[in-house]
Amino acid sequence: MADATMGSSSASRPALFLRNATGLVKAWSTFDAFIYSFMSVNLVTLVLYYGTASGYLQSDGQLLSAVLFTGVMVTFLVIVYAGLVTVMPRTGGDYAWQSRVLGGGVAFVLAVTGWWFILWYWTPIYGNILVAMFINPIAATLGWTGVTDFFSHPLGIFVACLLTLAYVSVVVTLGMEAYAKIQKVSFWLGVGGIAVVAILLLLYSQSDFQNAFNREASSLFGAKDGAYQATIDAGTKAGYTPHDVTFFSAGPTLLLVPFLLFALLWPNWGATLYGEVRGAKEYRRPFWSMFWGLWATIAFTLVVILLIAKTMGWTFYNSANSAFGAGTAPVTIWPNPIMFAGWLVNNHLFQVVLLLVMGAWFFGWAGTLFLSSTRVIFAAAFDRVLPSWAANISAGRRVPYGALVLMVVPSIVVSALYAWNVFSFQTFILDAALVIAVTFLGTVIAATILPWRRKDIYASSPIARYKIAGIPTITVASVVAGAFLLFTLYEWFSNSIYGVNNRTSLYFMGAMYVLAIVVYAVAFYVRRSQGIDLNKIHEAIPVE
Amino acid sequence: MPKVFFATDLHGSEVCWRKFLNAGRFYDADILICGGDMTGKAIVPIVQENGHFTFTLGAEQQAIEAAQVADVEAQIRRKGYYPLQMTEERLHELDTDPDKRAACFQQVMLDGVDRWMSLAAEKLRGTGIRCFVCPGNDDEMEVDDVIRRSDIVELGEGRMVEIGDFTMISTGWSNPTPWKTHREESEERLAARIEAMASQVPDPSRAIFNLHCPPHASGLDEAPAIDADLKLMHGGRALRPVGSTAVRKAIESHQPLMSLHGHIHESKGAVKLGKTLSINPGSSYEEGVLMAAIVLLDARNGIKSYQLVNG
Repeated sequence: MADATMGSSSASRPALFLRNATGLVKAWSTFDAFIYSFMSVNLVTLVLYYGTASGYLQSDGQLLSAVLFTGVMVTFLVIVYAGLVTVMPRTGGDYAWQSRVLGGGVAFVLAVTGWWFILWYWTPIYGNILVAMFINPIAATLGWTGVTDFFSHPLGIFVACLLTLAYVSVVVTLGMEAYAKIQKVSFWLGVGGIAVVAILLLLYSQSDFQNAFNREASSLFGAKDGAYQATIDAGTKAGYTPHDVTFFSAGPTLLLVPFLLFALLWPNWGATLYGEVRGAKEYRRPFWSMFWGLWATIAFTLVVILLIAKTMGWTFYNSANSAFGAGTAPVTIWPNPIMFAGWLVNNHLFQVVLLLVMGAWFFGWAGTLFLSSTRVIFAAAFDRVLPSWAANISAGRRVPYGALVLMVVPSIVVSALYAWNVFSFQTFILDAALVIAVTFLGTVIAATILPWRRKDIYASSPIARYKIAGIPTITVASVVAGAFLLFTLYEWFSNSIYGVNNRTSLYFMGAMYVLAIVVYAVAFYVRRSQGIDLNKIHEAIPVE
Repeated sequence: MPKVFFATDLHGSEVCWRKFLNAGRFYDADILICGGDMTGKAIVPIVQENGHFTFTLGAEQQAIEAAQVADVEAQIRRKGYYPLQMTEERLHELDTDPDKRAACFQQVMLDGVDRWMSLAAEKLRGTGIRCFVCPGNDDEMEVDDVIRRSDIVELGEGRMVEIGDFTMISTGWSNPTPWKTHREESEERLAARIEAMASQVPDPSRAIFNLHCPPHASGLDEAPAIDADLKLMHGGRALRPVGSTAVRKAIESHQPLMSLHGHIHESKGAVKLGKTLSINPGSSYEEGVLMAAIVLLDARNGIKSYQLVNG
């Protein structure tokens, strides 16, 4: 039953004759995949929450240049991941790619730490973002001081973590199709909301903002008159050195990059899911979806920074974050720039609606917490490294309850440690990015040697024809991306401003790697006693 | 203890077929089972013109000399496509005449299967390894006749066969798909087809159900959702269960020791449905990677161990 021709290389000549066969589908929409990437590199929940808000910690650096530089370097990572999706589609992302190039043991350790264990720590981060971006500003605007007080205490933080876990578990239970719909609605709501914020910041002057800030700080938080100037005073007293937004100094600017990676390292977050996409072998679609996910966010970020500088004042913005970090800010909740922009309109109903709409950035993003982890757990269970029950799904609603238990239970424990700040757990925020960066580095190393190590797979892939000076493009891109990740890892490990290189943080991360190694070692010997050789999983069968 | 090696959905990939034949020795397997969908989905024309050859692969048209044609053909076969040398006139004829295109497709597919049977004879004769093939819903009915002519490869379709102390029933038929392929039918008819074989199984606890289509909502049947125009929805991320309710019912009512499936390449997995271990090893035939399951059977305990591999 041959009934189709396609792919004409010229107007009149068919390149391929297709017959009717299962699975021959038309390509997926790049825009749909872009949304997943765009929501992963999240302008509001990641960039504004932490990326730009950390600028005061390296006050001599220029955020604009740092954002652009980070974007350029992360683009190399996008090139690498799009290449891997093209060479090995339908394989499940980092775990499978590393398995086939570096071996199952290394792949397991790097993948489960980066895509599973460290996500336990991301849970309280998500919970904190839910409070900072959604619950507290709305409650404060409505005058519900009891709510903001509650969520400022350990029990409140813990409850926020549980709320996040509940939402994420529901999303996982609903499945990708439902989540894709949630994301699409959230995307349009979020973009609409940010447009309103941008228009407000564009139309109003800095003196308008000062008046609005003084008014609402007094009205909602009981601050004394002149809260705007008091915020600047408190911020500079806490150590922030004021500079104009255009002030540039190369070294400190570079040191902003490790902060920004907390927000901008994730355009490839959907790579584990591209594994299931037919048509992913076409390089351009995964590349452009990730590329635009990254660069649309960067464009928005630059515009928002400039608008904040114009209307709120760059010194004020950084001072607000500095003063909040020191606990001396007149506005006692996290200095949410969305909330501040809403204050330009002297109407609490409008302000609440704006915050509710901007909540879409959280709810369209939070599902990413466990979706990829579930895939990695499934892959490890199918490889017999984890018990088979880890990949179980319920008969009715097809809930991956085994994987959910492995995600949710440890997340509750880690959330409690975070909420009550046991072992200074709240300071490990950049551990969350570091461990995943190490996983990405493993994938980048695998991609670097892929053309030689797995020539059988690479040579027949669509990207084999892309070369720079005779060297495979994926190798060139991997070397650049690898160097960038190594630089960042060096800074994280050696520079104390990132809060990573203290003893408890290193123990925390080390414990995760030890746990992964122990799990693999136990699985290896247990399976061997059952007649299963884990080394055989990815060993190529001879062709001839 | 027989060791079973099961792979499926090779879709014309000659690299995968060669690996399949070598898997017996590589993994010390006694039984090779190919679960269906052997034949490829596309012909890549290699057009002879003006003293050279042109073809298009990966959206790029390339011109090659005659000496390079064999390498290119091997590259195309590796992906599971059929390379076919032709003149410009023949290309135009196939492009404009659906009947001639269909006949051409059938010929290259049957030639391909015939070549695979010859390869099997070369590789397996005298090894003691038994090899079963059960064509799937994408394989035309004429494929069965080519397999029947082989004295090495055994046709599984519609039969109950003995494998040591175990019995195996097989069918490559599936429930309806949007592509209206060669071996698909309503759930009722598929249920009757399976039941006709399953009812003859003497001991379900020693039975293998080799059914190309996976059981519905088992986790082995999650395929990307498509719209009426066969376009992937939500960036290809939305998955829906598309397996057969008839297959699921057969497994749940008979509770065989093991069921082997394919059909949905993305839905690799191994799950327990009651007492039955159901496996879909998935397929990455386009990469030349042979995804498969190795199952060690034990006359006393049933399944001693199983493992999914990417060979």
